[in-house]
Amino acid sequence: MDLIINLALNGLATGMLIFLLAAGLTLIFGLMDVLNFAHGGLFAWGAYSGLWIYSQTGSFIIGIIGAILTGFLLGIITEKWIIKPVYGNHVQQILITLGLMLVLSEMLKVIWGPNQITASPPDYLKGSWELGGVIIIKYRVFIILVGFVIFAGVQFLLKKTKIGLVVRAGVMNKEMVQALGINIQRVFMFVFMIGAGMAALGGVLLGPYSGVIHAGMGMEFAILAFIVVVIGGMGNFKGSVLAAILVGLSGSFMAYYVPDLSLAVNMLLMAIVLIIRPQGLFGAKG
Amino acid sequence: MTAIILVVAAFLLLLPFVYESRNLLILLTQVFVFSIFAMSYDLLLGFTGIVSFGHAMFFGIGAYSMGIFMKRFEPTLTVFLLAVLTTIVLTGFVSFLVGLLTLRLKSHFYAMLTLSLSGLFLVLAEKWRTMTYGNDGFTFRVPELFIDRTNFYLLCLVVMVAVFLILKRFTNSPLGRVLQAIRENEQRTESLGFQVLHYKIAASVMSGVLAGIAGILYAISLRFVNTSVFAMDITLDALLMTIIGGVGTLIGAIIGAGLIEFAHHWLTELAKEHWIFERWIIFFGIIYILVVMFFPRGIVGTLSTLSWKRKQQPAVKKEEKIAG
Repeated sequence: MDLIINLALNGLATGMLIFLLAAGLTLIFGLMDVLNFAHGGLFAWGAYSGLWIYSQTGSFIIGIIGAILTGFLLGIITEKWIIKPVYGNHVQQILITLGLMLVLSEMLKVIWGPNQITASPPDYLKGSWELGGVIIIKYRVFIILVGFVIFAGVQFLLKKTKIGLVVRAGVMNKEMVQALGINIQRVFMFVFMIGAGMAALGGVLLGPYSGVIHAGMGMEFAILAFIVVVIGGMGNFKGSVLAAILVGLSGSFMAYYVPDLSLAVNMLLMAIVLIIRPQGLFGAKG
Repeated sequence: MTAIILVVAAFLLLLPFVYESRNLLILLTQVFVFSIFAMSYDLLLGFTGIVSFGHAMFFGIGAYSMGIFMKRFEPTLTVFLLAVLTTIVLTGFVSFLVGLLTLRLKSHFYAMLTLSLSGLFLVLAEKWRTMTYGNDGFTFRVPELFIDRTNFYLLCLVVMVAVFLILKRFTNSPLGRVLQAIRENEQRTESLGFQVLHYKIAASVMSGVLAGIAGILYAISLRFVNTSVFAMDITLDALLMTIIGGVGTLIGAIIGAGLIEFAHHWLTELAKEHWIFERWIIFFGIIYILVVMFFPRGIVGTLSTLSWKRKQQPAVKKEEKIAG
């Protein structure tokens, strides 16, 4: 029992981190029809910049805020200068965002060096609780909580605010939204910024969780996020959270019972979904 | 154009006999190997308009087949040929399956799927330790004929020229024309009555097998193979080379491979002067982004457009005069 609860918590925490990355990807894809292969780079940038600020100021909260702001900034730059010039051309988009991924992860090595950087959670999140004989690591619970808060926040933004209404309308029909006199370009930039911010938040949360960060982690997590986006359905925000939890849980249980196959199973799952049900497991767009 | 290519080829053929430099030979061999790889990628990206992020898997299959055959059996020419045959069969089979998927999956999905499939091969190579020795890889002996660097250099040069000619013929054939039509407009090609899927599979298999051959030569040139042959970096190399050199030109892939390999060599040496050169790939990343944005046809494409325009200009002026 002890083991199963721990594996489940572990899976949930990993799932939440993947969700933070995948949510932005899926929103951007749904609205802008752009699959951002550089999203993992934004994730890694969040981790490096956030942990750097954390180590400089000593405050984890300021580090998190710094990471999110870095994400916002990089998101705006990416949208404006890299993606906007190639809107509408799929091949160019794919190529250019992968190029950006390369540049972003190399930049990390230029600034912070090519070696791994260690990270640990702040004192108040270190250690664990004991509940009826089950040891629960605090930091995992913290990640899960943050994930749920972000999910609720974005859900609120999408469902209850005006900008959310515009975003949802834009996912359904861009031209119509534009015809109604709304500057869709601004909405694109806003969504891209939010997506990049979430990715950066995921990155900085991962640091103390895994203990080390390195420049290649962007690509590793990006692949998991792609899997989640595909399983959840491209452009489906709710689907992405369910799929992220699914992938996180399956990853954590498989890693314990059949460690050799954990990544392979997720990839096979994605391949099967792509071939049999390209719209994702969780219903149609929306 | 053909004359220039012939002169360059003759020069490269004679080079090892007039100029003795082991380093240059090894470097040029590397250029040839990656030219083959980049050309095979160009067939997909430049001629058929398919973006694959998993081209490394074919390269890796070739490299591992050769390595494993040479390690397990005596390094003779027969075993070498067997390894080549195995590579062709394996890469042909895998690329056939991957090609089948292009029917259902459009650009984004296909790029993602190939990315994760090649990731799967990377995991396989890491975990199947009895066969691959995992991450550390293994060294092996090569057939006597290839121990001499000059021989191997010539082999790679010949294979590269052969691949270039084959692909040139392939892309100019009626089949190649259909591939280019698919690149320009898939629906229209389909409505003209072409079985788009068959053509795409043909391109995929051709490209996969040639990438496998590049992998074979790569493994022999290093006499060592490890999981890095399946890494994303290999696919990225092919991308940088084809895009910067010029997509859909074949010769651009060779020029791109030459540029990047030489730059890699020189810039790594410069790293002793300043550490920034150790991260040389960042320059290429930036150039790559600029090329995709502003010169989508790469060096070769842009140059040929320029020279074409220059030839056209006098004619245009004459027409203007007549009109005036």
